Amino acid sequence: MNISTRDAGGVAVVDVEGNLDTNTAPEAQQHLDALQDDGAQKILVNFTDLDYISSAGLRVLLATAKRMGAAGGSFRICGLNETVDEVFEISGFSMILNVFGNEAEALEGF
Amino acid sequence: MIELGSVSLAHVGSVRQVRKKIRLLTMQLIDEPLLATRIATAVSELSRHLVDRGGEPRIEVGLRQAEGRTELEICFTDLEPIPRLPFLDAFFDRVEYDRKEGQKHFIRAWCAIPRAGLVDARAASRLRHMVEQKSRDELVTDLEIKNRELVESFENLRRTTFAKERMESELNIGRDIQMSMLPLEFPAFPDRTEFDVHATLVPAREVGGDFYDFFLVDEDRLCVCIGDVSGKGVPAALFMAVTKTLIKSRASNDSSPASILTHVNNEISRQNEASMFVTIFLGVLDLRSGSFTYTNAGHNPPYIKTRSGDLVRLDKRHGPVIGALEDMVYGEDRVELSVGDTLILYTDGVTEAMNVEGELYEEERLVRSLSQESDTVEALVSSTVEEVWLFEGEAQQADDVTVLVARYLGTGTSERIETLTLSLANRLEEIDRTNQEFNAFAETHGLPTALRRQINLVLDELLNNTISYAFGDEGEHQIEVEIELKAGRLVLTIQDDGIPFNPFVGPEPDTSLSVGEREIGGLGIHLVRKVMDEVSYNRRTDRNVVILVKHLQDPPTDIMERTKES
Repeated sequence: MNISTRDAGGVAVVDVEGNLDTNTAPEAQQHLDALQDDGAQKILVNFTDLDYISSAGLRVLLATAKRMGAAGGSFRICGLNETVDEVFEISGFSMILNVFGNEAEALEGF
Repeated sequence: MIELGSVSLAHVGSVRQVRKKIRLLTMQLIDEPLLATRIATAVSELSRHLVDRGGEPRIEVGLRQAEGRTELEICFTDLEPIPRLPFLDAFFDRVEYDRKEGQKHFIRAWCAIPRAGLVDARAASRLRHMVEQKSRDELVTDLEIKNRELVESFENLRRTTFAKERMESELNIGRDIQMSMLPLEFPAFPDRTEFDVHATLVPAREVGGDFYDFFLVDEDRLCVCIGDVSGKGVPAALFMAVTKTLIKSRASNDSSPASILTHVNNEISRQNEASMFVTIFLGVLDLRSGSFTYTNAGHNPPYIKTRSGDLVRLDKRHGPVIGALEDMVYGEDRVELSVGDTLILYTDGVTEAMNVEGELYEEERLVRSLSQESDTVEALVSSTVEEVWLFEGEAQQADDVTVLVARYLGTGTSERIETLTLSLANRLEEIDRTNQEFNAFAETHGLPTALRRQINLVLDELLNNTISYAFGDEGEHQIEVEIELKAGRLVLTIQDDGIPFNPFVGPEPDTSLSVGEREIGGLGIHLVRKVMDEVSYNRRTDRNVVILVKHLQDPPTDIMERTKES
């Protein structure tokens, strides 16, 4: 997995490439925690290059959503492939997280 | 020496009579109740001992008079040596042990009777009368005993007749239960071309608790088994019915013969108050590959007759008879059958059949009989049984004769099965390696990307679970992953030797809660369940086995092309 952050008009866009699973989840968690520690109020996780996500990855997203919510920030996700989308549906995450089709849609009105 | 006579100690009642007589006799000689009681007690104690052990004990009573002293002499005789009981020395003044005359063993004991005076002929005659004469009580007792014996022998006669009739009917009921449990219709699987099976059980009149069974565990696996229950009649038949049912129910979700018999043995041993047992040979034939996995629990070793006519004896044994010992772990072996190979299972009613000369049929004759040409499984079963009958001749069949024959005919098609087998250590990094290996496999065989990702997800969830929670210790463990791809489906099997754990029994997570309320626990298994089409868990012997199946919408191009080619 590769994870990196870029700025898009005040929104921290986090690109995740590869897999978000048992072995990579800790690194993703650290990365997102560091952004929040630095005071990021708007975070968009872009999954366009994500291959698959397992429950370990979902755990990272849930923890981030909870912390951002508590701090009054916004957290969005975009670019789910077929399999990731299926996982979001099965787990109910598509209903509790703010999911968008692509980056442009997600940034609109962020 | 004045002999006063003898008394037979024929039964318990006579002990009381002897005691009474000795006491009265002593009282005639000297009016000392204490001494009389002492002697009478000593005599009756030893008498009781002799009566209890059976035999033909007697006592002889006499008086010895010399130099103005009188001694009472009691001689105990029996056909067996009379034991040296220490209390005799305490009661009598002198005891002489371990004497033998002819067939009779005896001991003599003397007790001095002080101030007894001389016993004249008249007195002696009176005393003799006292010893020899049977009292009214004694006569009545004798009569009662004779009477009781008569009643008993009549009762015995009646009971034997009744029991014999009852046994006959019980044997018949047992036989009915036994036969009703067997598959008797042939051909048993008219629509299956990969195998042919036939069996017969010829019941003996009395002894016998044989059974056989064959059934499809699933679409691709045939289970065959044969067994012999100890005992006969209704108990043996019920035991056989229970065993057969347990096997079938276990085999429905467990295809390992060792695991099936380990489980069945535990079930049976746990509540086996009658201490019955059963010998079983059980095997599972993979109809796609011809691979035959089998476990032998104390049963006669079966044979494989190869297509070319050679006989191979499956003489591996994997544990004791079923029902004898709880917690036995049975092993299993595997043999690869070629198309046309035939399995021959039989019970000891075949090899232990006896002719009028008292000779046994023995395995040698069976081997000779099996070597003969036979076209069909049915013909092989019949010829095997007929040879036994021919040998027995006029002799009565002593035990059930059972033969089961199964021939592997192959799939007849060249459907390809692609397999990826991996063994990984219980470290989380190994999940990555597994997924990479699978990705390469998926690419080679043209699996759709979405399917490949789903399997990645499933492997991550299950392997994470296993590595993180299955092993109670810090030690190194191996996890076996097998991925099987055939037209129509992908089968994923994960095995570990960790603590027994069924991942599919937990409650499903509530996926309708809000971000704040959501817990992540149980989500991984929920995803696996939803993504795959079939999930199952088995505990096989000492392993957790998880099997997952994904139905393929379109057979992978790779497989389709190869099928076309062939």
